[in-house]
Amino acid sequence: MTVITSTSGRRGALAQGMTLAWRSLVPLGNEPGRLVQFLLQPIFMVVVFVLMFGAMSGDPEHAARYLMPGVLVQVALISTNTTGMNLAEDIVNGVFDRFRSMPIARSAPLIGRVTADALTTAATIAVALLAGIAAGFRITASPLGALAGLALLLLFTLALSWVSAWLGLKAKSVASMQGTATAVLLPLTFGSSAFIPPANLPGVLRWWSSVNPVSHLADAVRALLTGAPVGAHVWVTLAWAAAVTACSVPLAVRAYTRRIR
Amino acid sequence: MTYAIEAHGLVKRYGDKAALAGIDLAAPPGSVLGVLGPNGAGKTTAVRILATLVSPDGGRAAVGGHDVVKAPAEVRKLIGLTGQYASVDEKLTGRQNLVMIGRLLGMSRAEARGRAAALLAEFALEDAADRAAGSYSGGMRRRLDLAVSLVGRPSIVFMDEPTTGLDPRARADLWRIVREQVAGGATVLLTTQYLEEADQLADEIVLIDHGLVAARGTPRELKARAGDRRLEIRPEHDAEKAELILAEVTGLTPHRGENGLLSVPLLDSAVSPAVFRRLEEAGVSLAEHAVRRPTLDEAFLALTDTTTSRRTR
Repeated sequence: MTVITSTSGRRGALAQGMTLAWRSLVPLGNEPGRLVQFLLQPIFMVVVFVLMFGAMSGDPEHAARYLMPGVLVQVALISTNTTGMNLAEDIVNGVFDRFRSMPIARSAPLIGRVTADALTTAATIAVALLAGIAAGFRITASPLGALAGLALLLLFTLALSWVSAWLGLKAKSVASMQGTATAVLLPLTFGSSAFIPPANLPGVLRWWSSVNPVSHLADAVRALLTGAPVGAHVWVTLAWAAAVTACSVPLAVRAYTRRIR
Repeated sequence: MTYAIEAHGLVKRYGDKAALAGIDLAAPPGSVLGVLGPNGAGKTTAVRILATLVSPDGGRAAVGGHDVVKAPAEVRKLIGLTGQYASVDEKLTGRQNLVMIGRLLGMSRAEARGRAAALLAEFALEDAADRAAGSYSGGMRRRLDLAVSLVGRPSIVFMDEPTTGLDPRARADLWRIVREQVAGGATVLLTTQYLEEADQLADEIVLIDHGLVAARGTPRELKARAGDRRLEIRPEHDAEKAELILAEVTGLTPHRGENGLLSVPLLDSAVSPAVFRRLEEAGVSLAEHAVRRPTLDEAFLALTDTTTSRRTR
């Protein structure tokens, strides 16, 4: 009666996850406007932070060396927002109900979403980096060091996108998800050493910036891209990424299976 | 007899509110079961249980002979679900939506594309095939939603209010599609708020209200019980006298509508001349009088009244 053949098992789940990742990326191709918006945002950040704030500093070249890695961290972390927002949207729109009524692996929608978002984040980072280079930023580290820096950034972003997934699955609406995510992401990114060294900040801000894990990430990425000594920042960042992943993945999976019941 | 869809004593509670308070459903293979009821009656909850989206708090249900709680994976291989809110991906084109579902169901790329093209043609969506589903009109979206639910050629299809909010023409289009599916051998469970829709499509109607079955039967049986037609009068004066006469002649309590409109089910055609004669004798003149088919409200009231009295007896 049905054409359904083999859709279960690990291979099925992976193939279904890839189909759903495709599904998440296709809208970018469908709507040129969406693609432009997607590409413009990182370019805009480079223009504002590297060119404009850099011009304010008196030493634009030095400023670019400091600010550009910060911009990469900023655009990568902000992009995690989409994971939760899209999950919340799928739940609210009833798209998840459709998937759940089908004979597909229960993990496939989550795998698809996170995979697609890892790819778009990588693309966002690449666009920002190219814009930064056009704006005068130079990678002065070895290619391997620079790649390590970008990989570290991607890894940390992936950890945060599971937090975003968890928030999205728990959210009552897309707007509430966006509000929560913004409330989490803005202090993390702006309140870090991404744009201003903690030493230059007053009181509470200095304390927050120095304990903020994103400061370690920004310092590590900056050191790896510019070939400066990395110190302990890489290890602290890796530890944070591991800890965040260890907490957020089980939470997201649990929220997801709850939604499934 | 093996039913394609079968439910016994389904109960579902949300907090201390019972969405379903124990309903029975049964649909033989190849039939259309209409689940009729107002908003909040429990229709959607029933569909969600049968489609394995939520588990019941009590009772049991089987779809295609498989228990929805114990063997949901087996059930999912047989069913197609069309949501109350068109659950297609608005950012994908119609074609992409269909191809995605085909791929998820294990079809090869070529198979999925072929199936998508066939469904787009069948559902008159070819012109809009490569536009984002978000730009579709209400009727097109419902058609796409239905097409998406049919990609895997399900033998059992659930349609949760497929025509709510559609204009009459789009509704007629959808009705035609439902009939074609049934002609192809599928079993359909359709929920609706429209008596007319259930009448047009269903072999059997289950009327639910407040999570309970209020009435069941073929459309013909239910309409007969609701009173096929109604006699309506609008007296120019002496409304109370007119109401008394109407009650006396028909032996029924008249329903008071807006602007002094009085109506009763018309069970016997000989009643209307008798009513008019008595009103004339009493000197009550009428601003308006008519014989009309019942609205859903009235039919619904009549049917729920029947069960309440039967239950209390």
